[in-house]
Amino acid sequence: MANPPFTNDIKTLRFFAGEMTQGDLGDKVGVTRQTIAAIEQGKYSPSLEVAFRIAHVFGKPLEDVFRWQNDIP
Amino acid sequence: MAFQEKIEWLTLSAMVVAYGIYFSLVAAYPAGPTLVETLWLFAKISVAQIIVVTIGAVVLALAFRKEGQAKSDERDRSISRRGATIAYYVLLIGVILVGVVMPFEQPSAAKIVNASLFILVIAEAVRHVVMLVSYRRGWHG
Repeated sequence: MANPPFTNDIKTLRFFAGEMTQGDLGDKVGVTRQTIAAIEQGKYSPSLEVAFRIAHVFGKPLEDVFRWQNDIP
Repeated sequence: MAFQEKIEWLTLSAMVVAYGIYFSLVAAYPAGPTLVETLWLFAKISVAQIIVVTIGAVVLALAFRKEGQAKSDERDRSISRRGATIAYYVLLIGVILVGVVMPFEQPSAAKIVNASLFILVIAEAVRHVVMLVSYRRGWHG
């Protein structure tokens, strides 16, 4: 399975948010720990709603959490 | 491993064993069993499989209490839809083969019944395999 055309900084943001665990973030967003892990590893592209919820948890705009890869049109 | 993934492994394993036994037994009847015998055997195997999966799911839920309480999320649902979609095409091809092609060769009723059951089992197995692969390798749906 190819990686999605965007990367994310969720792992870093979790670290700077008091070393928040994947499970904690999942609980706040309404998904399982495994889904957060899959998103971080680029194995799952979240819905727009979950993407916004993740950004909201960190108090960041969406583009600070998910970044489109510039080399992909 | 997601709780749903554990359940998928359990279900697929139980399916392979249960219907492996069923089709082995059916193959052992050279003359072919009667329709009632066929369906009765299939029903018994299916009920046994359901009991095994139910008990296994309860054991998994107790062993992984927190995960077991979590509802399916959007990834689980997306992966489930993918499995069902691909299994649908397998079922469609199987129905065409069994319902449209097979009758021209005038097989026994038992053969048609078992071929139909086989297609159902294969389609269901494909659904579980696709879901497991999607959990392992990722899915962007």
